[in-house]
Amino acid sequence: MVVFILRRLGFMVLTMVVVSLLLFLLLEISPGNVATKVLGPYSSEEQRTLWLAAHGYFEPLHVRYFSWLGNFATGDFGESIRFKVPVSEVLWPRLANTAILGLATFAIMIPLSLVLGILAGMREGSKLDRAISVTSIATTSVPEFASAVFLSAIFVFWLKLLPGTSGMTEGFSIKQLILPVMVLVLYDFGYVARMTRASMAEVMTTAYIRTAVLKGLPYKQVILKHALRNALITPFTVIMLQINWLLSGVIVVEFFFAYKGFGALLLEASLNQDIFLIEACAMVAVFVAVATQAIADIGYTYLNPRIRFA
Amino acid sequence: MTGRKEHSYIPTLKQDFAEGKVDRREFLRTATLLGMSAGAAYAFAGRVAGETFVAKAHAATPKMGGNLRVSMNVKESADPATYSWSEPGNLGRHMTEPLVQIDKDRIPRPHLAESWEASDDLKTWTFRLRKGVKWSNGDDFGADDVVFNMRRWLDPATGSSNQARFISMTEQVDTGKKDKDGNPKMSTVASEGAVEKIDDHTVRFHLNVPNISVPESLADYPALIVHRRFSEEGGDLTKNPVGTGAFTLKEFAVGEKAVLVKRTDVPYWGGDVYLDRITYVDHGDDPAPAIAALASDQVDAWMRPSVEQLSTLAKLPNIEVYEVEAAQTGVARMHVNEKPFDNKKLRQAFQACVDAKRVLEVAYQNRGTPGADHHVSPLHPAYAELPAQKQDYGLAKKLLAEAGYPDGIRLTIDCVATPTWEQNTCKALSEMVKPGGIDLAINIMPGGTYWDRWMSTPFGFTSWTHRAHATQVLNLGYRTGGRWNETGYANPEFDKLLNEAGATLDADERRKVMAKLEAILQDDAIISQDFWRLVYTAANKRVHGIYAQVALEHHYNKVWIE
Repeated sequence: MVVFILRRLGFMVLTMVVVSLLLFLLLEISPGNVATKVLGPYSSEEQRTLWLAAHGYFEPLHVRYFSWLGNFATGDFGESIRFKVPVSEVLWPRLANTAILGLATFAIMIPLSLVLGILAGMREGSKLDRAISVTSIATTSVPEFASAVFLSAIFVFWLKLLPGTSGMTEGFSIKQLILPVMVLVLYDFGYVARMTRASMAEVMTTAYIRTAVLKGLPYKQVILKHALRNALITPFTVIMLQINWLLSGVIVVEFFFAYKGFGALLLEASLNQDIFLIEACAMVAVFVAVATQAIADIGYTYLNPRIRFA
Repeated sequence: MTGRKEHSYIPTLKQDFAEGKVDRREFLRTATLLGMSAGAAYAFAGRVAGETFVAKAHAATPKMGGNLRVSMNVKESADPATYSWSEPGNLGRHMTEPLVQIDKDRIPRPHLAESWEASDDLKTWTFRLRKGVKWSNGDDFGADDVVFNMRRWLDPATGSSNQARFISMTEQVDTGKKDKDGNPKMSTVASEGAVEKIDDHTVRFHLNVPNISVPESLADYPALIVHRRFSEEGGDLTKNPVGTGAFTLKEFAVGEKAVLVKRTDVPYWGGDVYLDRITYVDHGDDPAPAIAALASDQVDAWMRPSVEQLSTLAKLPNIEVYEVEAAQTGVARMHVNEKPFDNKKLRQAFQACVDAKRVLEVAYQNRGTPGADHHVSPLHPAYAELPAQKQDYGLAKKLLAEAGYPDGIRLTIDCVATPTWEQNTCKALSEMVKPGGIDLAINIMPGGTYWDRWMSTPFGFTSWTHRAHATQVLNLGYRTGGRWNETGYANPEFDKLLNEAGATLDADERRKVMAKLEAILQDDAIISQDFWRLVYTAANKRVHGIYAQVALEHHYNKVWIE
């Protein structure tokens, strides 16, 4: 177990170093671009050169990379070109905002999709199953940018029930969270529900379930005690992957509702080629990806005792 | 755009009115006498004055207090000298003020300056400064502050675009270093004695060449006057907001929001200021959140509605849209040193395919006036109207064949993704040149990418903002070696005439020179400049005193909320 976790950690660090190096090379090839970004398109060549010299851009590439890497390891992510403040000052609050959005989404989406998935998978082909499956496919196939417009049109412009943006400029507001969460849940629940349904339906056809039913156990008990645990393995993995998806998948929603989260930050950083911010964001994304994968693997063994660490 | 022929004096009259030579009443009276309908005359007067067509029913008494919430990008705003967007300018202007301000009616008025005068040769400009203005730290505002700012702008290490605006106060010196090819590295620095302090409240600027646009340049957004110890006190307005303005900065987070509160420390020189607070909220680059925020009353105003959003805004009963006619435009410009655009016949063939009026209709909902490929606006003083251009595919094909492309040619234009009117214009052009034998592909790219190559790309679409004088634009964009000369255009005759125009004060005399300049540019066909666009701003109807300014500047000192 310890070896397994250590190996996971090593893999995580290696992935992050490779990603950081690739990003650094891609973004730093032409420092002239950086000066143009900062001083604006109308600056003169001389002004740009002076700016670059003053900000250490004429140091050799490897010197800049390693000094950055050293700082990164000690928690200093450098200064954001766009925001003109240390990266950590913008990164952590934004990440916390996305975590709030993610938690709220999961708190609704997971129970909803599991219950619907199980209900549908219990009796494959029933009217309930058909209804749930069709709804799931329909909602999942509507892209977020479309459902965001659609829901805004209803709740903001027509019914005037909800605020149109979620910038939380006057402090945290549950009301402003409703629309973004609604869009994310609507988009995501169908997928998880259908995975759960498929998994449940498969479990229901296995021999041990048939045996349990045939030996006269109450149906409720068969589902809760015997079917559920095995049927949850697939949705568990899927949900872990949804954390990953959420981190980048929120970009559209955050952009549309002007929600100040990680996705919007990532987009803004890339559009402005804000090198250190992109690096930090990428590191966070890679960390989350590898970490959720590790958690999924560990959780898997708990749910399925047949899998043991080699 | 009624198609009816108007009296030949009306353009002159419009011109005089726009320049402030005749007042509104006289304009309306004369225009209607000459056959312009009263409605049209009022509409024109309203446009020039930046008012909406529907006049406000009553002028109520201003109410004190309130928080004006405005949707606008909150960008990095540390140093006014290096601002390259109107947004930081709008934030900064409520803390630190300019010497000159261009108001609702597009006329430059003294702000921190009290008055100015130019010598006959337009090479010496004397600015008298307002007395009794206090900095928020208690210091008196005076000539030292202005001298400090001007020297700082001209210093190449500052990186200010003002250096280009006041390029006539600089000279090239040899730095003593050599570049890679062994040529001496030149540096642009302030000319000896360019900035002179006469007394505590008078400064004088000495120019090497005549320049008529000094007051307008002093009104541009990077020309906000910071305190004389700005650099030594950290050089960051957002951290140390010392200013002469009515507001000070309370909160500031790039990409999120900025809160300005009314200053109480030192009395403000400019009289009553009604708002207690201005909150700028950043909704990102997508227009959807800004509209949603206006609709659900999360903000009171929106800085930059684009033309596509106007129909949606019109459906919101509480929202008023303000428009202003400005010399804002975009040019599809060709680099004359790049093949195949070095061929004048090819450029003229492109020009012959274009119907500017139609481009305006298709790409900008006909909200503006057609252009004539010479980048001089009917709004510019001394504008000369040239004979109308005609769309002529036969001529285009003939020119194309003479240029060596009898079977047509494939071209590619670079263009930014947003604002969308720019790519829409390129699409309209692409359709329009097709029958003439030109297959125009559009290469749409993010703004950052385009602005890295806008000076060098063979064919690109560049937006140009409002400038009060045609000579300002022509000097920047089309003079040999001009700072923003994006076409590589070099024409000694043009440069000579441009000097002549810059040194001519009399509008009618200048008009004669302008006519020649316009004709040269049009004939050389280096740009397809299809329309001058109206620009917009939107606000809730309970907000009073707000208007669309030509450069979308915010002047909120006299704004109040019902």
